[in-house]
Amino acid sequence: MRIITVLGRVLDPSGIVVKATAGRIFVNREEYLLQPADRCALEVALRIKAAGDAEVVALPRGPLPDDDVLRQALATGADRAIYLTGDGFKKADEAVAALVLAAAAERLGGADLVLAGSTTMDTGQSQLGSRIAEALGCPQIIGAWQASVSDGKVQAVLRQGTAYVTVEADLPAVVTVLPGALKPRYPDGARLVNIYKGTGEIAEALEQWDASDLVDEDSLKPLLERRGQDFPPERERGARLSGTPEEMAQAVADALRERMGR
Amino acid sequence: MDASYLDLLMAQQEEVSEEAAGGGGVWVVADVSGGAIAPVTLEAIGAARTLADSLGAYVYGVLLGEGVSDGSTSLTTSLAQTLYQAGADGVRVADDPSLAQFVSGPYLSVLSDLFEQERPEVIMFGATRQGQELAPRLAQRFGGGLIEHVAALSLDESTRTVQGSVPIYGGEYFQILACPEARPQFLTVEPGAFPAPFIDNFRKGEPTTIDVKPVEPDVRVVGPADDFDPPQVPLAQADVIVAAGRQAGDIETVKQLATALGAQLAGDRGARDAGWIGPEQIVDVRGVEVAPQMYVAVGIRGDTFHNAAIEDARFIVAIHPDANAPIFQVADMCLEVDPREVLPALLETLE
Repeated sequence: MRIITVLGRVLDPSGIVVKATAGRIFVNREEYLLQPADRCALEVALRIKAAGDAEVVALPRGPLPDDDVLRQALATGADRAIYLTGDGFKKADEAVAALVLAAAAERLGGADLVLAGSTTMDTGQSQLGSRIAEALGCPQIIGAWQASVSDGKVQAVLRQGTAYVTVEADLPAVVTVLPGALKPRYPDGARLVNIYKGTGEIAEALEQWDASDLVDEDSLKPLLERRGQDFPPERERGARLSGTPEEMAQAVADALRERMGR
Repeated sequence: MDASYLDLLMAQQEEVSEEAAGGGGVWVVADVSGGAIAPVTLEAIGAARTLADSLGAYVYGVLLGEGVSDGSTSLTTSLAQTLYQAGADGVRVADDPSLAQFVSGPYLSVLSDLFEQERPEVIMFGATRQGQELAPRLAQRFGGGLIEHVAALSLDESTRTVQGSVPIYGGEYFQILACPEARPQFLTVEPGAFPAPFIDNFRKGEPTTIDVKPVEPDVRVVGPADDFDPPQVPLAQADVIVAAGRQAGDIETVKQLATALGAQLAGDRGARDAGWIGPEQIVDVRGVEVAPQMYVAVGIRGDTFHNAAIEDARFIVAIHPDANAPIFQVADMCLEVDPREVLPALLETLE
């Protein structure tokens, strides 16, 4: 069985200061972390690998300036990592990345399970998993707490309403994992040294593919465009609810329900 | 004075007419939960109305579910009428037992067929679980761009491009995104970001029914995950926190609320003094400073140290009997009521 995990990086938020009055973002310490949700997705993949026989392949969630996250994934226990490069891929958004990742999965010989983080810590985008599912034409399980594989099916635990439920889908499938869903393991020290020094077997596990070989020129055109930054106005607080306790309960329940399950 | 305006003043009902010509329009897919339209859907319709007025387009609502088109229920206005009243010009209703609960397969098939036929210009969802599952898949299927968690909208009128502000790092700042070429443009709207629209009781219309082809869901619910134990997250990293204070009344009800929301239990110093929580659960600048998505303060009066420790929370609900409690100055939703009166009702509604 082949499991693809999709990994990205995020600028450590504790190193930046946002000054709305100055309209600027100050980066005091530029340090990148593995996306917390992607890290959990990798952990799920490694647990499935430990429970059965699986090959874990790490792929980037989008264009990356370096392959650090893939080296980390290899050191943590992934069997193979593919660094996607190419000029056309540098500006890729989620729509492009989904097509490229689906094509990469095909070139690998098909993927039985694709695991990704449910959301990114910085941009809060949760579309990649579903977009990959659509590009591969397979079922999607969004926002899982846990996932396991048995009998050609993937079982996952989701929160539905006020309880947890188990859901099941046939393989191949895409599962996105919530940040903080489980406690991820740390990279193995010796493997980390080897992968960075390029020594031992593990160094061979990191490959580099050109994205423009995987999909045609047109598919590499990003759909979204960034048009600057904006700073939120000061939040208005202190809105008082009125009515009977039942009406208030209804309003609170609606507000809470909408903000849950992401 | 215009005679039609006089009619309106005299409470004559205004018949909303919908243009027969196909194509275009701003579409909003409704989120139905607990037999009612979710507030985020109405907010989205309000935002869509503003957009459509600038674009010279119509606003359409899409309702999916079982029994949603039944206008003769005890509800004074059916759900479709609510959409009309909030500002929709047309409503499409898909009513089928297979749509009773949200499952992505059947929902996707209905929406995909509908949008294939109607070719909307803009499609909006609420940034709820349903919207987040459906929007990206449809966007990929139609080759459209998706802007998620839109908290503010503007329009580039020369190219009819919607620009959405997306919160970064949970709202530290916004990034403005636009999808200049690909159509349709997909958006998911952040709950609470847009004002609720004016509900005009004189607007009404006749919803159009759409056919539902039977589709087997590809993800099946096996059953409750009884043996699943949610991981213990440190309070500082928790997403949802229910905190008790001296006025919480019954701690067991508060614990039930925490379980129902999948939240971590915490409290202020008063709760610690009452022996309800451990010392590591005290929310205070001298204890734990938190930054959850949701913080529900039950019976917490909110001293300076406590309020400073919850400064980074995204959404704060405060329940306290004293109207002058300082917690109400920092909360987004304030309930001046004894928690004992409102918590049982809240638990019941959540179930």
